[in-house]
Parts: sequence; structure tokens; C-alpha cells
Amino acid sequence: MTRATWTITPLLLGAAFALINVRTSAQDAAARPPDIAGEWRLDQGEDPGQPPLADYSGLAFNEAGRMRADTTPESIWGTPEYQCRPHSAPHQWRGVGGVRILKELDPISRDIVGFRLQFMRSLDRPIFLDNRPHPPAYAPHSWSGFSTAQWEGQTLKVTTTHLKDGYLKRGGPQTSDMLTMTEYITRHDDIMTIVQIVDDPIYLDEPYVLSITYTYDPNGGPPTESCTGSAFAENGGTDRHHVPHFLPGQNTGIGEFLKEENWIPFDAIRGGVKTIYPEYRSVLSGGRAVTTLTVPTSRSANDVAKAIGDQSPRDGQVHVLPVQGNVYMLVADGTNITASIGLDGVAIVNTGPAQMSDKVLTALNDLARTTVYAPSTNKCFGANCPSPFGAPGWSSPFFNAIVASPRPVQGLRYVINTSAAPEHVGGNDKLAAAGSFKRGGTGGSFGTAAPNIGNNATIVAHENVLGVMSNVTPKVPTAALPSETYFDEFHKLSEYVNGEPVILYSAPNANTDGDSIVFFRHSEVISAGDLMSTVSYPVINVDKGGTIQGVIGGLNHVLDLAVAEYRAQGGTWIVPGRGRLSDTADVASYRNMLVMIRDRVRDLKNKGMTFEQVKAARPTLDFDGRYGSTAGAWTTDMFLSAVYRTLPDRK
Amino acid sequence: MKHTLLAVVACLLVWSVILDAQRGRGRGAPPQTPRQAAPIDLTGYWVSPIIEDWKYRMVTPNKGVFNGIPLNAEGRKVGMAWDPAADEKAGEQCRAYGAGGIMRLPSRLHITWQDDTTLRVEVDTGTQTRLLSFMRAAPAEPSWQGQASAQWNIPANTLKVVTTNLKPGYVRKNGAPYSDKATVTEYWELHTLPNKDQWLTVTTKVDDPVYFTRPYLTSSDFKKLPSATGWNPTPCSAK
Repeated sequence: MTRATWTITPLLLGAAFALINVRTSAQDAAARPPDIAGEWRLDQGEDPGQPPLADYSGLAFNEAGRMRADTTPESIWGTPEYQCRPHSAPHQWRGVGGVRILKELDPISRDIVGFRLQFMRSLDRPIFLDNRPHPPAYAPHSWSGFSTAQWEGQTLKVTTTHLKDGYLKRGGPQTSDMLTMTEYITRHDDIMTIVQIVDDPIYLDEPYVLSITYTYDPNGGPPTESCTGSAFAENGGTDRHHVPHFLPGQNTGIGEFLKEENWIPFDAIRGGVKTIYPEYRSVLSGGRAVTTLTVPTSRSANDVAKAIGDQSPRDGQVHVLPVQGNVYMLVADGTNITASIGLDGVAIVNTGPAQMSDKVLTALNDLARTTVYAPSTNKCFGANCPSPFGAPGWSSPFFNAIVASPRPVQGLRYVINTSAAPEHVGGNDKLAAAGSFKRGGTGGSFGTAAPNIGNNATIVAHENVLGVMSNVTPKVPTAALPSETYFDEFHKLSEYVNGEPVILYSAPNANTDGDSIVFFRHSEVISAGDLMSTVSYPVINVDKGGTIQGVIGGLNHVLDLAVAEYRAQGGTWIVPGRGRLSDTADVASYRNMLVMIRDRVRDLKNKGMTFEQVKAARPTLDFDGRYGSTAGAWTTDMFLSAVYRTLPDRK
Repeated sequence: MKHTLLAVVACLLVWSVILDAQRGRGRGAPPQTPRQAAPIDLTGYWVSPIIEDWKYRMVTPNKGVFNGIPLNAEGRKVGMAWDPAADEKAGEQCRAYGAGGIMRLPSRLHITWQDDTTLRVEVDTGTQTRLLSFMRAAPAEPSWQGQASAQWNIPANTLKVVTTNLKPGYVRKNGAPYSDKATVTEYWELHTLPNKDQWLTVTTKVDDPVYFTRPYLTSSDFKKLPSATGWNPTPCSAK
């Protein structure tokens, strides 16, 4: 071997190993997730343009999904509560306008802790990568839902829950609020592929899997669509409460687009899981009947019954959800209590089942202690600091009152009952008696219906609630009876509670003849009582004066009082009697459902059908998976019977 | 001795290149074949549920229905001249079954390793076979499936396939054309869904300087099947 060889060989060896190292490092770097942030353009190479009305081809619709889509017109957008709604999340990736993806960075570690997505017709959609859990099932749903994500290799897997009901795509196909959405976002060079799985077993026989491609385009950010719609012009009616819909079998627009797209057979546009597999070509060619096909279907990953039940957990516990302003929602063994917590004390709407009273009381005191009355750091220095008694003064004489020994929790001051339902008044006795707020004096008080106001919390309700509670067996203790009643359209508490007016509105002949809506006017929270439940059809007690029209009227009143914050979401919060915290769009959805059912039953009744015949016609088919029940205290049949009975007979 | 040392150095350099392409299982591991290095297992039977573009895929749309396809004027002109009977007569009934369009057709796939460097993708619709080669292919005559060059993207767990040397074909059965100058670039990815189903998504970009104004992008989804049930090879049909 020459001297030159001995010289060059180590150099070459070193270079080779260095190259290996460099390449390995480069591979390690390449293992980092790709940058998906930026502006992305949608070229609409797939499902281009606006979908025609009632084109369900490619959808694994079940019977309920088809009925819901057939009966829901596009003009539903015209209702005041929906005019500014963004595209539903399942449709968002296919909406025109592209997407902007923004990174959210931790300012210290500079790790990506989230993404924010902007589409043309959307609110900003946050996606959290900070390992936070999803909210409890009784938390609100939104148009874009609650999304968390993690990287799987270089794919971002996004899991979304807490979505509102909406539409799978334009032109009719609807989704329930039980859907979950999973997305796999992968960047391939300058292409981004999103594989989207929408799992909505209420309306689909198997998950809906769709992939969409975007192209990186620094100049392709989405425009912003503003909303300036008129509240009345578009919904086809002269009534702001009008709900556009088709009665079953009366949507004449179905199949209309086939005049233009005449190569598509009618049966195929009705959807169904068998139409989406290659086997269906044998039907198209006339060789087989669709009923004889066997296709490799998939199952849903969602347990709907559990998901609905979790919105109203009957677990013997009290769950607390902060709402807005002074107001909290307590879920007491499945029944909701609305609580105002503040310096004036505590006011609650409904008291829950009797057996939950101790836990409710503990929860209320804990809430007060950890919020309004919690020790805090001293934030003011000098002579002009407010003292705990209100007058200015040096902070130092009072610092222990701030940091160590704050004012004791003020007790329960008002109990409001939205009805006489046992699960709403069961805790009256114990909770009202636990009120430590002293109004002054003892014994009777001027203008009250019961003599105990000086010692107990004041119980407020419609006078018919007092009437019902006074005449039940076993007898209700006097201390549990409403001590302040009203008979008018509304009733204002005679004083601000925790800095805000509290107003009761009567909902005549709704669930019963004594229902109230309670409005916390500064916190912008409405306690709707049994007018609304996100876990069942409304309980209508016909024998106690309840009617379907009264429930709808009450919900319309809620909608008149409530204002959405932005794009048909948030703003005024509505605490239902049971189920998850809701907003205007949720109430509108529930109201719409009831109007559709009412009109269907009325139509059938007007045709002279008996109740059994109406039941056989299944007018609630498309909502039964979501709100119906075949067992328990309030079944679909009982609800349908209440609707039938309280609609006027044919004239 | 000198030659031996230089050979060792050359081997190390080649090894580094192989690592770059396939990323072995740790430093010092022997080079792997593409089959061994596969970050995802594409083998098995797959079915394509037709969820999007149903009316353009499950059935053949009328002539001139080219919605979503970025055809230029020449492409439209050629598309409007579509004559399925003439295609059949000319033995060109497989035009819609070429690499530029076949993944959009309702079908089942059967994917196997033909050898350590070639993925074999059989498609029952049209009885077509695509060979995705991880090696440089020898020159050949243009064909419906062309020459497909495959490359793993190890960190991303995806497969990139670039296909050229294609015979002119259709991206839609109603004659929406691509030319023999077209390049088909595909990205194959696998996902396990919450219901445990495994899905394959193939993102396809067709670049055609002759008939397109811009690349035509689609993505096609396939669900994994436990068996060959439903495998139904059928001949090409121009209609």
C-alpha cells in the first residue's frame, strides 16, 4: 500500500461515516411533524360545485337519515337562529374558499400547543395539542366542536366531539349532535390530504369516510364571509317562529335534479349502505335486486345510548359546570339546577331530587367558598383601597380579611321552581331550610304566601305550582312550598340578586299549567326547566294542563329572549331541565323538531287517523334515535300520545 | 489492499445511500429490502366504497360532464369526441382503467409483494395489474399502467408512487382525457379508524401538460377486507 493510500483512506472512511451521520440526522429531522400551517387552496376536483337538493348518492343513510333529509329544506337557513350559522363541521372541508391553518406556540418551549383553522364560512376552529381532556358530556356543543389532536408519525390525528346537529353536506343530508368526527391530516409535499370520518349512527348505517385534498398556496387564504341576513325574509313565513319543513312524502323537489343529470338512477340518489359498494353495479346493470346484495359494511364506534345518558348522568353525584357571569349549572343525579353565586348569597332554580339535597348543599357551599368568598392575594396598597366593609382605607388593617379570613359564605337566598315536578322540587324542604340569609325579623312578612320568609330561603314559583304541591299525597311540608308566587305573564324578583335582575316568565300550558322560564338578565342565562331536555322528548303532563303547543310556545319565548354571541353560537346560555348546557341554536333545533312532529301528527289527525294509526305511521322516526325511548318513565309512545291528545280535533 | 480499502469505503457510501432511502432499523443494521423496510403493510384485499363523486364513478356520466376536471380547451374537445363504441372497436376499451383513472373506479384491490422490490396491485375492475417498483425500471412500451416508481417515505409512513410512460387514457369513464405526456403522482397512506377498520387513502395528482390547465387532484379511499370475498374480476368496458 502506498503512502498516498494510507493518507486518503482514513479521510474517505471519515467522510463515509460522516455522511451516514449526516443522513441519519437528516432523517431524525425529517421525523419531526411537517409544517401544515399556512394557506391552502381547495380546487374542488371532487364533488365539485353546490350539491343538488336531495342527492344522497354515496351516503349510507338509514331510514331515519333519509326521512330527516327529505323533510328538511334548505330554507331552514332562513330561520333567525340559523341565518348566521357557519357550515357544519362535516361539510367545512368541502366548503369553498380554502383553509388557513395557524399554529399556536408555547412562548417558552415554542412547542406547537394547538392549531387554529379558518374557513370562509366558519368560526375559528381550535385544535388542542396540549393533552387536555374533552369536556364532560353535559358541556355545550358548538358548530366546530371540541377538537384535540396528536401526531401519528407525520399525520395529525384530530378527534372532535361536542358538535351541534347540522348537515353532512349541502342539499339536505342532516347530522345529529351525536356525531363524532375523526380527521387524519397528512402533508405530502405541497398537497395536504384530509381523511375525514363522520360517525353518526343516528342517521348513518356506517361511518362516512371522505378524503379531501388541498394545495399549498401562499396567496390562497380564505375570504371572510360576513353575515347580514334579514331575520324574516328568507324563511318563507311571516312569523319569526316559522319553521320551514316538508311533511313526509311531500317534498316535491326530490329527484328534480335528475332532469339535468339524467344518467343517474332515482333509486341511487336515495342513498343507503348497499349503494356505495362496487356490488351495487350488479343492481345498476339490472342483474340483481338491491335487497339480495351483501356488502362488507362497517360498524359505528359510537355508543349513542351512553353518549346521551352521559349528558344527564344519573350517578348519585353532583357535577358542576360554570356557565356565565354569576351562574353555574349543577347536574344532580341527572337533573339540572341553575345556581347564581355572588356576594348577595345564593339563588337556585330548582332543587333536584330529595335524596340529593345534602350533596347539592355541599356543592353550593363549596362553589361559593372557592369563587366569591375565596381568600385572595392583596391587590391594592394605600389609603384608597376598599376595605371589606366598603369604605376606603389602608389595606393593611384588613389584609387578613383578604388573604386569610374572608367573609363567610352567604346562604341560600332564593329558590325558584320552574314547575312542581318532583325532581325539581324534591330538595325544597332541606335546601330552603338551610338558607342562612336573614332578611330581618321573624315570622310572617308582608305580601308573602307563606310565613317563613325571615328564616328560610324564599321559594318562588308560578301559583299553579303551589296549587299542585299543596294537594299532593303525601303532604308536602309547608317549608317546602312556594312562599312567593305569581299569576301574571312574568314576575320580577323584587330586588337584584348578585347584581342582576332575575325574571320569571310564565310558559302557559307547556309541560304543565305552571311552568316558568327564569332569566338571569345580566349573566345572560336562562333556566328553561322542562321545556327542554337534550336527553328525551319533552315530558308533557296532559292531566296537569300540559300541551305540545305550550311547550313550543315556551321554547319560542326562550328564543325571543336569547341572543347568540356570534354566528349563531354562544351568547345567552340555556340550562335545560335535563341534559347538556345549550344555546340559541340548540333550542332552535329542539323547537324545530317539535314543530315538525306537531305538524306531522296534526296532518295525520286531520286525515282522521286514530292514535294507533298515527303511531303506525311513525311520525317521529327520524328523531327517535336521538330522543326516543321504549322504556322508562317517559317513552316515545307517551310523548306521541300527549302530542296527539293536545292537538285540536279535525274541524 | 488498496482496492480492498477503497471497496470498503465505497460500500459504506452505498450503505449510507440505502439508509437514506429505506432507513434501517437502527444504526449498524444491515441494509433492508424495500419489502423489509416497509413502514406500512399494504398487502391484502381492499374495497372502494364510493362516497364522493358517486355520480361520476359508480355510473358513467353523459358526454361532456367534466365537472371538477381542469381540462383545457383541447382536453374538452377531445373529451367531447368520446365514442365508447369506437373505443371498443379499436380495442381501446381499457382507456378508463389506466393508472390515471383506475383508482377512482368501484373496485377491489389485491395487493401483494411480487418480489422484494415490487408491490403488485391487482384491480378486479378491468382485470388490471399495477406494478409499483422500488427499482429503476427498464425502458418499455407505453401501457395503461405505465411504469410506476415507488419510494417509501419512512418518517411519514407513506408511499410515493410516480407513474409515467402511460398510454393515453381517461380520468373519468365518459372520456375526460389524459395524454401520453401525463405523470401520475400518488401518495398512499393507511389509517386505523376508531371502529378499528383499516383504510387506505391514495391521493392522486395527474399532471398533463397537453389536456389540463393545472394538476387534477383526487383522493380515493379503500377499506381493508378480511378475505377475498367479493373479488370479482371483470373485463374493461368502454361504456
